Amino acid sequence: MKITFLRYSIRQAMANIFNNRLVHLIGVGTMAIAFLIFDAFILIFVNLSYWTEERGRLLSMSVYFKEEPDRIVLEDVQRELLGFPGVTIKRFISKDDAMEDLRRQLGDEAGLLDGLKENPLPASLEITFSRDKGGDSIPHQLKRRLERINIVDEVQYSQEWIERFQAIMEALKIVGIVVGGLLFLAALFIITNTIKLTIYSRKDEIEILKLVGATNRFVKIPFLIEGSIQGFLGGSLALILLFVAYMIVVARVDLRIGFASLDFVFLPPECIVLLLVMSSIAGLIGSTISLGRFFRI
Amino acid sequence: MIQLFHVYKTFGSKNSALIDVSLRVRKGEFVFITGPSGAGKTTLLKIVFCAEKATSGQALVDGRNLNRVSERELALLRRRIGVVFQDFKLLPRRTVFENVALALEIAGLPLSVIRKKVHQTLRYLGLANKEGYYPPQLSGGEQQRVALGRAIINNPLILLADEPTGNLDPDLTMEIMALLREIHVKGTTVVVATHSQELLRDTRRRIVSLSKGRIV
Ligand SMILES: Nc1ncnc2c1ncn2[C@@H]1O[C@H](COP(=O)(O)OP(=O)(O)OP(=O)(O)O)[C@@H](O)[C@H]1O
Ligand SMILES: [Mg+2]
Repeated sequence: MKITFLRYSIRQAMANIFNNRLVHLIGVGTMAIAFLIFDAFILIFVNLSYWTEERGRLLSMSVYFKEEPDRIVLEDVQRELLGFPGVTIKRFISKDDAMEDLRRQLGDEAGLLDGLKENPLPASLEITFSRDKGGDSIPHQLKRRLERINIVDEVQYSQEWIERFQAIMEALKIVGIVVGGLLFLAALFIITNTIKLTIYSRKDEIEILKLVGATNRFVKIPFLIEGSIQGFLGGSLALILLFVAYMIVVARVDLRIGFASLDFVFLPPECIVLLLVMSSIAGLIGSTISLGRFFRI
Repeated sequence: MIQLFHVYKTFGSKNSALIDVSLRVRKGEFVFITGPSGAGKTTLLKIVFCAEKATSGQALVDGRNLNRVSERELALLRRRIGVVFQDFKLLPRRTVFENVALALEIAGLPLSVIRKKVHQTLRYLGLANKEGYYPPQLSGGEQQRVALGRAIINNPLILLADEPTGNLDPDLTMEIMALLREIHVKGTTVVVATHSQELLRDTRRRIVSLSKGRIV
């Protein structure tokens, strides 16, 4: 492609946007809404995957003692635990601590506990287990080894938890691809129709260009550039709107799922770049499709 | 240069704009096509630059059969045919400069050459001071001259002019006719469609008369 032609095309695209700024503004707004739905879905999807992965990776285990262990026993158990790769000891919870925790959780209803003659809660050791460093069988092995120690009553972790998270992760991926794909197609459909309006409004211009000897390429390329710019602007606007909405949600809502509070993060930079590229490409595809229909007539 | 063989053009089922028209225009000729309104003059020109396809019959321009040209060949052919449309067909959102530059832009000439040629042409047509205007801001006669500028700027092989003096006063008419003669002298084949008897009164040029779609 010649430089002169490229310069002409860009100049025409800019001039067209400027001359039809109202139509373009409406077009960009429409596209922004279409992209916003898509981007919002991506944002939720990114966070869901992030949370799921986080939960799935760090496994909590509780080692319950038959009775309050003394320091020597406790150190023995801890040494045993640290022999396993990926194990971190979070804290030791004595019987008193456990009671304290329970009272705090009950809040106003803590009075219920006053009737108890003795503390029924067991002492325990909370550990986390990073699954990065070991296979699936390791939590299982660890549980068996620890339960052989005399003073240890029971080791609890949820195998189901792991399996469920893995299943959720898989399902999430499929749902993500399907729903994301559908939303993108919907956005593309809206964009194509928006661009078609701007092209139809310049039908005469296209006809004249062709009558004075312009090739299809000469006529089309400024429109393609225009469509890409429009897509890019619509995509940018959508991201700005999404960010504003995100800030509002983060400021107002305390996200708690179960007992763990989760970080709600915004899209990472590479994701933003990717979405902008996708918006521009959607604009390009949209104008290609609408031009295709037009040139066949 | 232009050859029509038994060309028919029918719009819809019974609106015959051209009936059995055969015509041969040689390279370097200057031909008037005349006839009353609705005789088919514009339709005939449209067939020649392929804005309309003949319903039947053959049309050859510069040796090319218009029934069998590709999109690209047609574009290249049209660049060598300058057309002054009866309704001008200027781009309303582009300036006079840009409208006239269009043909050169399509041909892919460098910007410096385009500027020089456009200025030259606009001066030649007495439009030098209108270069930044948009067509709707011009009078009919001025628009007509812009259309002529766009048609001749690329030194076309053939110039088709549909009522090129339709909106002009007698003085400007004489000027435009002088201009067409000049272009003709430089080697362009010129076809002018007009219903103005005045224009034809004392010309020694070839006149093709159309009536109700037939050559008479
Ligand atoms: N696009 C079209 N659709 C239907 N009928 C058409 C079309 N173009 C031309 N015609 C018909 O063809 C006939 C010839 O029209 P044309 O424009 O060639 O006449 P003309 O000789 O140029 O007339 P004028 O001097 O008024 O410009 C007319 O009867 C017109 O109604
Ligand atoms: Mg006519």
